[in-house]
Amino acid sequence: MTIADPVQIGASRAAAAARDARPLLELSRVSKRFPGVTALDQVDFELRHGEVHVLFGENGAGKSTLINIIAGTYPPDEGAFTYQGEAVVHLTPHAARLLGISPVFQEFSLVPDLTVEQNLFLGRELSRSGVLDRSRMRTRALDLIKLLGFDLDPNRKVRDLSRAHQQMVEIAKAFLADVRLLILDEPTASLTEAEAAKLFALIAKLKASGVGIIYVSHRMREIKQIADRITVLRDGRKIATVEAGDVSENALVEMMTGRKIEVLFPRIEPRPGAKLLEVENLTLANHTVTDVSFYARAGEITGVAGLVGCGKSELVRAVYGLELIAAGIIRVGGAAVTNPSPATLLKQGLCYFPSDRVAEGLALGRSVRENASMTALDLPAYSRRGVLQRASERRAIQSIVERLKLRPPQIERAVANLSGGNRQKVLLARGLTRDIRVYLFDEPTVGIDVGAKAEVYDLMKDVLATGAAIVLVSSELPEVLHLSHRLYVMHRSRMVAELTGSDINEQQVLSHFFREDAAGRAAPASSGGR
Amino acid sequence: MTDAIFVSKAGADRRRGLLDWLLILSLPLLMIAMELGVYAFEPRVLSLRNIVNVLNQSSYLVLFASAQMMVILTRGFDLSLGTTVSAISVASALVMTGLAAAGAPDFVLVAAGLIVGLGFGALVGLFNGFFVSWLGINPFVVTLGSLNICLGLATTISGGRPVFNVPDVFSLLFYNGVLIPGLSIPLMIAILVCLGLYFLLNHTVFGRSLYLIGNNPRAAYLAGLPSKRFLGLAYLACSLLAAFGALMLTARTGSGEPNLGGSLMLESIAAAVIGGVSLQGGVGGVGAVIMGTLFVTMLSNSMDLLEVGGYIQQILLGCVIIVAIFLDRLRLTRG
Amino acid sequence: MSSLDVHPAPSHRLYRAYARFGFLPTVLVILVVALALFVPRFLTVQNIFNVLRSSAYLVILSAGQMTVLIVGGFDLSVGAVVPLASVVSALVMVWAKGVAPDQTAIIVLLGVLAGIGSGLAVGLINGLSVAFLKVSPFIVTLGSLSIATGVALLLTNGIPVYGMPQAYVNGFGRGLWLQLPTAVYLAALIVALVWFIQNFTRMGRYLYAIGGNLQAATVSGVRTRTYLVLAYLFCSVLAAVSGLALTAQIGSGQAVISAQLTLESIAAAVIAGVSLKGGVGRVEMVTLAAFFLLILTDAMDLLKIDPRIQTIFLGCIVVLAVALDEVAKRRASVD
Repeated sequence: MTIADPVQIGASRAAAAARDARPLLELSRVSKRFPGVTALDQVDFELRHGEVHVLFGENGAGKSTLINIIAGTYPPDEGAFTYQGEAVVHLTPHAARLLGISPVFQEFSLVPDLTVEQNLFLGRELSRSGVLDRSRMRTRALDLIKLLGFDLDPNRKVRDLSRAHQQMVEIAKAFLADVRLLILDEPTASLTEAEAAKLFALIAKLKASGVGIIYVSHRMREIKQIADRITVLRDGRKIATVEAGDVSENALVEMMTGRKIEVLFPRIEPRPGAKLLEVENLTLANHTVTDVSFYARAGEITGVAGLVGCGKSELVRAVYGLELIAAGIIRVGGAAVTNPSPATLLKQGLCYFPSDRVAEGLALGRSVRENASMTALDLPAYSRRGVLQRASERRAIQSIVERLKLRPPQIERAVANLSGGNRQKVLLARGLTRDIRVYLFDEPTVGIDVGAKAEVYDLMKDVLATGAAIVLVSSELPEVLHLSHRLYVMHRSRMVAELTGSDINEQQVLSHFFREDAAGRAAPASSGGR
Repeated sequence: MTDAIFVSKAGADRRRGLLDWLLILSLPLLMIAMELGVYAFEPRVLSLRNIVNVLNQSSYLVLFASAQMMVILTRGFDLSLGTTVSAISVASALVMTGLAAAGAPDFVLVAAGLIVGLGFGALVGLFNGFFVSWLGINPFVVTLGSLNICLGLATTISGGRPVFNVPDVFSLLFYNGVLIPGLSIPLMIAILVCLGLYFLLNHTVFGRSLYLIGNNPRAAYLAGLPSKRFLGLAYLACSLLAAFGALMLTARTGSGEPNLGGSLMLESIAAAVIGGVSLQGGVGGVGAVIMGTLFVTMLSNSMDLLEVGGYIQQILLGCVIIVAIFLDRLRLTRG
Repeated sequence: MSSLDVHPAPSHRLYRAYARFGFLPTVLVILVVALALFVPRFLTVQNIFNVLRSSAYLVILSAGQMTVLIVGGFDLSVGAVVPLASVVSALVMVWAKGVAPDQTAIIVLLGVLAGIGSGLAVGLINGLSVAFLKVSPFIVTLGSLSIATGVALLLTNGIPVYGMPQAYVNGFGRGLWLQLPTAVYLAALIVALVWFIQNFTRMGRYLYAIGGNLQAATVSGVRTRTYLVLAYLFCSVLAAVSGLALTAQIGSGQAVISAQLTLESIAAAVIAGVSLKGGVGRVEMVTLAAFFLLILTDAMDLLKIDPRIQTIFLGCIVVLAVALDEVAKRRASVD
């Protein structure tokens, strides 16, 4: 491997290949099942040389499963995989890289304790007769970083980098290889506009030289800018592949959600009451949240929007006692919370619903019943003097589960066997096991199907009617835009806007997402250099 | 293989296939096969006397395996269990013989032995629990430390020699007395402890929490369970159970032995894991521990009857452990 | 956790220096100076000689243990591989001497190969089980510990195997080069080798990557299973080498060496800051930690502290070292 400019090499190879009329990659009737879910169901997909093919769909629609199959992370259960006209079987990540397939995942494939340079070369170190050629790797890494225009120090440990910089390392990793098929999974999620522009310029260069690019994104603006074709996935099935120029934004969203926008998001009338949650000048020890104030009122959905890594999730996590607080005041129901922890906050009627249900929400191996009653075991209906009241527990959870339309409504099954939507319902059941006045939702509809989504929104409507307050943190713009009565926007750890009424629209929100004022430049992350 | 049956669709209940049942029943079937196989060569294995013997022998190991289970459920384990047993045996024997020499009445002797033994167990449990749950240190390191500490204590206070002349009343009470004819005291205690543990694990908030913490510690914390306290308590319970077992063993040998716990750490983990208590945490129960204990005891009993050498027994135990963990793996991926 | 402000503050830089070198060198220097000043016999040639020689075996063993810890596993079986390699090599040499008494070189070569072969066999069982069956390294190596111990005992009935060639015992085991025991050179060579592997080869980097983020290593195209097996093989082979050197020094094959070897090797690694979570650990620190442990033991010997109390002391040190490390890291993350 001796490449000074990966783009050049990609160019010559791909240009040769481009004369070939066959598509670069062809998947037909590919399926993939995981315990409890069919992640991909008979999906066809085609990528041409020199094309940017956008994968569009909600979280959990099957996009990441599809790109993982193309990258060789796991094999499809059935279906044919053709690459450059040849059938591919037993694809491993290693083999995929040799074929020129370079993935950039959203969940970073970086080793935190290795340096930037070590991560870049992981799996394809340069060596001379078995000994690592460190100086050549250093030169190569510096060249690449310069070419990409990223602000990275090859010597820094990845652990010490901000999310945006980790994203850059991940992208750089893909460009280091002799790339013929590039997979980009929401690469701009935490980049600034200037950094994103550099990335787009690179993409254009690669495209011109015949490299095929699969691009996963939610952002209409960038899809418009770079897409040639768009394939829409929903609930593991392919809905359509369309030419980017032929389709309107609304049509795409409707294909993605499977219904008219007005039908998906219920109309919820706000009835603002008392301030149930107030946060003043909150700053976290790790500065992911800096000097943020906000409040949530009863009978109202308070939305929080922002880019990935802007601190919106950390904000609600801090309220629930999951992040280390450096300064600030939190009041629940008017009373100041001195030492927030999940146990004390639950007692005060506040509950947080984590976005990562597998890691933080559910004990997958245990039953629906045990998972639902987990937050309420201190109440007399569930235990007396430390002894469980199993009969009354069963009755209570059964009725909650029926109200939430868990399908099938069996409370003794292990949660591991449930689909994403059903898992989220089990989590939400916790809000109904005890008297919760403030609901903190962190990406509540990640990875669940449209039907379940609508039911989650209906549940929000129900609890709002009982006079509870809802804080909705979401990266899905349509969701926050349509549901929020008041919408906060966060940018680089700070609260930059509070929108109400007709100001809650995509233009407004995006303008705050991408603002690059002086304040924004000062806080950001880590200059890798110096 | 009948893989088609196992492909699950979202929402559909899975039917158990033949292989699953085999996996679930593997241990009892193996035990029956083993006993029948041995019977062909040595009929004594199925005599009433031998069966009673196996049950009596199991009543000690079941305590230690249960102790180990309490912490394995939380994704931990206790390496110090063996040396804790030694230290407790020696300490309680020393106190009792000392008091007996001073002419203290029987009930004082017994009470003192119990208090010292259980007290020592509580101290070890609190030490382990403190470092594991409050400081968040890997249980391996912590219990490795307490293993050495207890080993040092056991040999130091006894001078490395057995402490003889444990009062007869102690042995009578915890070993050879007769309360219910036909039921030895150790077995009776073991049954009572198992019933107690069953209640604890299935009918109390503490027991439920152990499973939840072991299954997903992060989720348990987010759900407001007092994870730290319960984790610490699990180590306390583990050491207390071990202490109780140590006292029963001391009553049996009639002396405080500085090497009493020698192989117990390994055997207790083996019995629990073979029974199906998963090292991944959150899986297991009293039933599993009983089955695992019976299996280990039957295996060594059969080999004793067949006059298999101790070294080969050790090799076989090692093989059985590896096979058991492999079966556990299969069960987890299937289930 | 993405921290937005990572401009290195002074406290941060201090922490990074700490993270790189830790307390260990400081503590080691203080210990040596104090001993030199207050314990007259410490600085005698004979004593230094003894410390160096006994450290050599532990250094070799701990370097292997570290390799496995770096990939996020651990190996309880090293303590059994040492006696196994000892017994196997001695038996093979005795046999070969019977066949061809004059061919000393061949006899020794066969013995050494057999010893290392026994290590390879155990390492292969461990590595394959962990990498391919994906079972817990704890339980697999617990099983192979039991098996290897049993085999060593079975081969010898626990009786030492005498009759190795004198050249091997006097020339290598008890030999001196430039006034230093040969084992010290062997250990130095191995440390240099491991250091080279860790810093200048693909394998070293992949081992860190596997322990640091298995998923990332896999998607980056690292053949993770192969390297996992290699790590376990490497560990067992080093244990076998340590066993061979020890055998040569003792002059006989021993099925019962020290029960504490596994624990000491893990203790040295842990004190050296090797993370039990994997991904972190450097051989130079492990060497220092092994020295530290043995100088401490030596000092206690010189001060005539009962070896039993020394055990307690070692237990405390292991727990405290890790606890301090943990607390320091937490401080650093808060700053």
